[in-house]
Amino acid sequence: MIATVFPLVGRRLLASVLILLIVSALLFFVLHVLPVDPAAMSLPPSATIAEIEAMRREMGLDLPLPRQYLIWLSQVLQGDFGSSIHFRRDVLGLVGSALPATIELALLSMIVATVLGIFGGLMLFHVRGSRMEPIVDFGSILLLSIPEFLWSLFFILIFGVALQWLPFTGRLDPDLRLPQGTGFLLVDALVAGRFDIFWSAMRHMVLPCFALGIAFSPTIMRVLRSSLLDVYQEDYIHLARLRGLSEWRILRRHALKNAILPTLSLMGVQFGFLFGGTLLVEVIFSYPGLGNLMVDAVRNADLPIIQAVGLAYCAVVLVINTVVDSLYLVLNPKLRIR
Amino acid sequence: MTRAPPAWLRSARVISGLTIVLLIVLCAALAPLIAPHDPNEQNLVATFLPPAWAKGGDPAFPFGTDSLGRDVLSRLIFGARVAMLVAVLASLGAMLIGAVLAYVAGYFGGRIDALIGRAVDVWMSFPPVILSLILMVGLGVGLRNVILAIILVDWTRFCRVLRGEVLVVARKDYVAAARLLGFSHWRAITREIVPASLPLLITLVSLEMGIDVIVEAILSFVGLSVSAETPAWGQMIADARQYIYDSPWNLIFPILAIFFAVFGFNMLGDGLRRTLDVRLTATQRV
Repeated sequence: MIATVFPLVGRRLLASVLILLIVSALLFFVLHVLPVDPAAMSLPPSATIAEIEAMRREMGLDLPLPRQYLIWLSQVLQGDFGSSIHFRRDVLGLVGSALPATIELALLSMIVATVLGIFGGLMLFHVRGSRMEPIVDFGSILLLSIPEFLWSLFFILIFGVALQWLPFTGRLDPDLRLPQGTGFLLVDALVAGRFDIFWSAMRHMVLPCFALGIAFSPTIMRVLRSSLLDVYQEDYIHLARLRGLSEWRILRRHALKNAILPTLSLMGVQFGFLFGGTLLVEVIFSYPGLGNLMVDAVRNADLPIIQAVGLAYCAVVLVINTVVDSLYLVLNPKLRIR
Repeated sequence: MTRAPPAWLRSARVISGLTIVLLIVLCAALAPLIAPHDPNEQNLVATFLPPAWAKGGDPAFPFGTDSLGRDVLSRLIFGARVAMLVAVLASLGAMLIGAVLAYVAGYFGGRIDALIGRAVDVWMSFPPVILSLILMVGLGVGLRNVILAIILVDWTRFCRVLRGEVLVVARKDYVAAARLLGFSHWRAITREIVPASLPLLITLVSLEMGIDVIVEAILSFVGLSVSAETPAWGQMIADARQYIYDSPWNLIFPILAIFFAVFGFNMLGDGLRRTLDVRLTATQRV
């Protein structure tokens, strides 16, 4: 099995690298048609025109755009993303400290979305044809109409402000210190044996994760339901019934195995959207991840950060897509023949 | 003799969705007539008034006032203008680009299909929110650029879904027959394939309008959309978030406005999908 899956995954990875290259070129050109002058921004306002011109030449801004792109790309390939105009810090360090926070948030939210989506999908399927169906179906459209940032605000109003059950700013209580390590706070806290930090981080994650998870679960529910409906039309389900198997066993051993495949490939796409959705959730919960970094950079027209963060988002999405595709190959034997 | 209304007008979903959408469109169109106050009129002696039915509310401000004493109801009504403008223009623009590319890709196939497919792949590797933010940086702030950014991001939604449909329809016998009769490619696409995929297209536009309302709210929340004098729902949320302890009501009303708009478009889209799709069976259509 590995022998057949491996080349396919390799080809996917190669395609991802190519896409990333195209994306980086697009990013560079979109951001450089901008009327903002990075040379003028990196100098004090009292600088003379001659000084700005000298700075432009030093930064390579007088070269044609494709040349500038190649220079930038070769620096990026050496791990040099430049330094932030606003923070005057190394961009790689800034992105590197924000990325784990966002990945942690996105992964936990995806788990919430998956659990809710699968339970909801099974429930939607279970009530098919009954009087409950229109009500549950209506409920799923209702859920579909509430995007993650509205959930975030609702949750802050209810659990943060009104009931005061859970914190809703940052990643940790202000009196706790971040342990040094990978940047994945939950992992770091466990490794360091600091259960107080783990608990505090968990409490801070509950509201943002549920806001994202609930917002992205209805699509999973609806696809799981419709692929279950399709699978139940198949002959082997009828045969299983004739053999006298219980409904539960048919669902678990026969139907779900096939119905989960379209759901899985949808979840790959959904994860891309969810990863983008973290941006606003982070802003609302003042969560120090890529989203907050990006929004700050956009407000300050901080090009090096915008470029690096844009690339980081794309790279994560491409990695996820490759993982989901490989998983699809592993789970679906039909695709392995070749 | 009255004819029975078409199937899509008898669906409860379509009717309720359409009612909500028309209500919001009416609010947007007649905003200066129905809004009780000027949305920017400040009333600094009456800030953070609760809604009229709550204790301490003033009947002159049915939904209360915000941090500058501006009437929340009037701002909501005027905010509908921005939301609906973006929803209509951006979804039609995205549909135009996405549909044209989908018809070209699905009908001609081969190399041009592969090229368009790669372009969609590149676009899909960006989370939509991130791509629209980056485009806003490149284009500059303002309502026109919000619409442009949404069009440039969301054409893939149409292209992806529609291409598959066109691929199936274009290989049907009646399309081949039309070509044999001497129809040009243009005529075969516009007369034979477009009508067959129209139900899907209409459904997608309706759902896209809901998405556009959300994206506009996100961009105006971050402060990249309209200028401060134009009321927009996202902006109201951003303002109210700073005073969450003083007046939660200020936050709740724009949230509900966005929710109702999106819900209306989703109901309409879902209802249209069920009633217009000829391949669904009678039971699935209920």
